[in-house]
Amino acid sequence: MINLLFFGRLSEFAKNVSQSYECAGESMTPLIIREKLTLESKALGQELSEPQVLVAVNKMIVKWDHIICDGDEIAFLPPVTGG
Amino acid sequence: MSVLMSIQEDDFDIGVEHLRLKSAGNGVGAIVTFTGLVREFESEPKSADFQGNLSTLTLEYYPEMTEKLLAEIIQQSFDRWPLIAVSVVHRVGSLKPNDQIVFVGVASEHRLEAFQAAQFLMDYLKTRATFWKKIEADGQSHWAEAKVSDNVAAAKWEG
Repeated sequence: MINLLFFGRLSEFAKNVSQSYECAGESMTPLIIREKLTLESKALGQELSEPQVLVAVNKMIVKWDHIICDGDEIAFLPPVTGG
Repeated sequence: MSVLMSIQEDDFDIGVEHLRLKSAGNGVGAIVTFTGLVREFESEPKSADFQGNLSTLTLEYYPEMTEKLLAEIIQQSFDRWPLIAVSVVHRVGSLKPNDQIVFVGVASEHRLEAFQAAQFLMDYLKTRATFWKKIEADGQSHWAEAKVSDNVAAAKWEG
């Protein structure tokens, strides 16, 4: 099981999509997950494809082609606005 | 070197934070502190339709990752300047106008490094630490947009 987290404005677009995926033996990356999510919600897919959106695996920023496995936590991070 | 770091819902007392910096090590000759507050008016250039009186500001963060990023930013400040102590307090949850959001304090031997490190810490915190603001104003809510000016400010420390 790969758990998905959506932060900031991305959470507004992710209310009715899968919050986890099964690896089922296939090689997974955040990019593949983004493609799967885009099939569920085009609007979310567009938001996730914005160049400023970063992806973290187990709380580390990674590239979109990073290989992920069962038990990983994937977080989609829009531009930060703290301080 | 001494690091004080906290992400918390509760308010903080800048007097207490100042005292902690003062007693954090030997040889402190300068302390610079910054406190960020919730503005009463929201006037983001990108969302003119949301201009108005702010009622609530909600701060979201990514537990564990945000702490890790803050610790990295603080470490970078120690790598760049000869500092004695750094303190960063960031509030999360539901805040009201005039509430304190963030505190950055730097103690060093001389003032120059304390001024510079405090500005560096705020510039990097604003653009690298995983916090997100949700703004409620005039009965409508929206997520704050990242500001280009913040990225420009942070970029000045690179290269």
